[in-house]
Amino acid sequence: MPHNEVDILKRALDRQKKARLTAEKILEEKSKALYDTAEHLKRTNARLNALLDERSDEMDSAFLNIIDPYVIMDLNFEVIKTNDSAKSFLGFDYNKESLNLQELVHPDFAEYTKESTKTLLKVGVLKNYRAKIYTRKNQTKYVQINASLIYNREGHPIAAQGIIRDITQEMEIEALLSEQRKQLDIIVENSPLGIVLSVDGKFIKCNSAMLNMLGYSLNEIKQLSVADISVKEEFATSKRLLEQMGTGNLDHFSINKRYRRKNGSTFMAKTSVSAIRKVDGDIDYRLAIIEDITAELEAQEKLAASESRLALLIKNLDLAVLLEDEKGSIALTNEKFCEMFDIDETPEALIGQNCSETTNRLKKVFPMPVTFEENLDSIHNNRLTVIDDELETKDGRFLERDYIPISSKGNYMGHLWTYKDITLRRTFKQNLQAEKEKYSSIIANMNLGLVEVDKFDKIQMVNQSFCAMSGYSEQELLGQTASELLEYQQMTLINDSSNSVDKKKTASFELKVRHKSGQTRHWLISGAPRYDERHRIIGSIGIHLDITGHKQLELQKAQLLKELQVSNKELHEYAHIVSHDLKSPLRSVSALATWLREDHQDVLDENGFEQIQMIQDKIEGMDNLIDGILKYSSIGRKDHKEIEVNLNHVVKDIMGIIYIPSHVNIEITSPLPTIKADKTKIHQLFQNFLSNAVMHIEKKEGLVQIGCDESNSHWTFSIRDNGVGIPKEYHEKIFKIFQSLGTKDGSTGIGLSIVKKIIDLYEGRVWLESEVGQGTTFYFTIKKHRA
Amino acid sequence: MKGIVFTEFLDMVEAEFGLETVDAIIEASDLPSEGIYTSIGTYDFNEMVALLTQLNQLVNKPIENLLYAFGHYLFNSLGRAHPEIIQSYSSPIGLLYSIEDHIHVHVKKLYPDAELPTFKILEKSDTSISMVYSSSRGLYRLAHGLIEKCFEHFNATATVSYELLKEDGTEVRFDIVQNAA
Repeated sequence: MPHNEVDILKRALDRQKKARLTAEKILEEKSKALYDTAEHLKRTNARLNALLDERSDEMDSAFLNIIDPYVIMDLNFEVIKTNDSAKSFLGFDYNKESLNLQELVHPDFAEYTKESTKTLLKVGVLKNYRAKIYTRKNQTKYVQINASLIYNREGHPIAAQGIIRDITQEMEIEALLSEQRKQLDIIVENSPLGIVLSVDGKFIKCNSAMLNMLGYSLNEIKQLSVADISVKEEFATSKRLLEQMGTGNLDHFSINKRYRRKNGSTFMAKTSVSAIRKVDGDIDYRLAIIEDITAELEAQEKLAASESRLALLIKNLDLAVLLEDEKGSIALTNEKFCEMFDIDETPEALIGQNCSETTNRLKKVFPMPVTFEENLDSIHNNRLTVIDDELETKDGRFLERDYIPISSKGNYMGHLWTYKDITLRRTFKQNLQAEKEKYSSIIANMNLGLVEVDKFDKIQMVNQSFCAMSGYSEQELLGQTASELLEYQQMTLINDSSNSVDKKKTASFELKVRHKSGQTRHWLISGAPRYDERHRIIGSIGIHLDITGHKQLELQKAQLLKELQVSNKELHEYAHIVSHDLKSPLRSVSALATWLREDHQDVLDENGFEQIQMIQDKIEGMDNLIDGILKYSSIGRKDHKEIEVNLNHVVKDIMGIIYIPSHVNIEITSPLPTIKADKTKIHQLFQNFLSNAVMHIEKKEGLVQIGCDESNSHWTFSIRDNGVGIPKEYHEKIFKIFQSLGTKDGSTGIGLSIVKKIIDLYEGRVWLESEVGQGTTFYFTIKKHRA
Repeated sequence: MKGIVFTEFLDMVEAEFGLETVDAIIEASDLPSEGIYTSIGTYDFNEMVALLTQLNQLVNKPIENLLYAFGHYLFNSLGRAHPEIIQSYSSPIGLLYSIEDHIHVHVKKLYPDAELPTFKILEKSDTSISMVYSSSRGLYRLAHGLIEKCFEHFNATATVSYELLKEDGTEVRFDIVQNAA
């Protein structure tokens, strides 16, 4: 082993030895210290006990007899001593068992207890420590403890003493009070009424109902006074009342007043204010309860309106109403009642009258007044609802009467009589029956065939006329289809509206049918749909008229017209032939007469010439006559077109053509119109009148005047002359053919008949006024617009 | 500082570096106790600092690593000295969780004047624990070694990470997650 190593080991061993010695020394010291500590503890304990004994003696005298529980404990909460009261309160005897007070404390109060103990140790006293504890009897109690430390002679705390007060009941009351206060708060907060506490006009408390009503927040309202939320004009009243309250004359008042909201709007509220006074009578504060009655007021107004509407309704009811109150007086009646029973008073005047008086008036209306009254009394006495009583009045009206007793909460309050005139309803059925019979008889006896068919055209009902028209009996017709049985042919729709095909509308047809006898008949049928009570089409009704007679006449007429046209044509041709045939020999006669005069002028004397001249004149007349006939016969032919004809031009033309004696003047007194007409015929018309007029004037100065006048429908022309005039008896005659008055040459008697015929064509009239020796005026009219 | 720390430290030095080294560092340090330590005695912390400094110079290893290694060694020694303490735990996290409330209480019973570090638990689950080491000595690496060894003792491993809350190492947060078996 190297020397170095030995040194190291030596040193290490030396250290270990020394270390062991050190350790042993430490242990010895520790043992000594332990012994000293134990000795010290023993002495301390002995001293402490002595101290406690000593102190306990003092305390016994002072505390053991006090009523409240009294406890002494050491600083670890171990009970050292108690008085009897504490024994019974806590339920244990410290002489028999040990008790640590800490164990009695309810866990909820553990922390608090710890804090309190610290305080006690620090300060030396503990006041009003409150905790919940368990007693030995397993009760839970609330206690209040006032404690103080007990010190030894050196001034070190060695124990604590305390007086316990049972405050369980106190706590319960407090809890109850707090609960009640909470409930009260809830009630106040949730009250629909506004509740306000104020002092000297300033608000100190205000519930949410009130805040909602006013629209202010609680903080805002606290800045305001009563005046701020009142309506200015009304505040004076509130102020006066509040002042009275202030002087002690008034403890309570209630008013309806308006309040002003934050937004300036107002509402009406019922306000009750009470003064809460202090013992000395001064007002502590005012309590106001505010109820918004806006809705209530509105409801009242609505009720009033509703009542007045109801009154109006009753007044104008088509029902006689009599409301009798429980004392037998009339409470309400109406116009109809007075009217129905001929009462010569207004309904208003009747109100308040005794009902027996009314009964006296009423019974006169009925045929048996005594029975009526008895009946009335019996209903009255029964006081049971009687409805639909039918009564007949003397004058034959039927009345329906209802009796309704009125009661409120089981008390009889009066009753209501209503009368309704049901005469119409009563007689309605009878009337209906009568009407039905009347119409049935009309239907049966009318000259029109009536048929009802269902939706499939099967005959449901026929009347006698239809049976007669068709030749079939009712039995033969019912259930058949009319169009098949009677072989309807050539149906022609008469009212040509396209809607007529639609079954909903009325339609008329003309058709040919076969009568049972085999004859062909012509019928006119009008059909209309039939509806049921719900307005659905269930078939149709047809009205049939036999127009065979008319139809035949019509056919005859058509035949006649045709024949007439043929014969007219023949006649016209005949006139041509005749005039041609007649004119030819006439020209020969004229030629012969000329020749006779020329060849025999040497032999003929004055008389002979004159006679030949007369032959020539007559031939000329005959020629004119034939021309006239030809013209007349051609007037009826409408082969000329109608054009605009200026009558002024026509008259001028005529004046250039006809012979006008030199002493005669023609003048147009009013401008003549331009009319639409056949120019030739108008020419003929005026030429005839003018020729006539100028021809028969014997006066030295002849005057013919042409005038014109117009109405809505016609032109009226007049041709006046100052000629010889026409005697009355010829006024009609002259318009007939071949009638001439004159002996003048060239007058064929055809002229005016041509005139008449033309005027007829133009749907006008011709007449004349004349005085022999003075002159004649012919009038004629022409229709302005012709078809 | 408790004597047991010195005696165990010197035992470790002897085991690791030989008796010569033990002698050398004692001789080199100017120690009031002259290097005579008994586990029940109490000695100035500065003696430990002096011994560590000398060892550091002699073996040329950082003091931190030396402390970490010492932690490993110390756990076994303590375990041998007080096996009943460790036996009362079934898991390393359970043990760590109880350092303050249980182990240190026992230590105080034996050595009322012991100056112990505190471990404040921040959070704990079945497989992890976070705590703050705080001690004026700043021997957190020693604690680190002890913690690791603790897991080893229960045949487990853990990922131990730490964060210096104060630069001088007097307050250090440990986040320990036990690895899955």
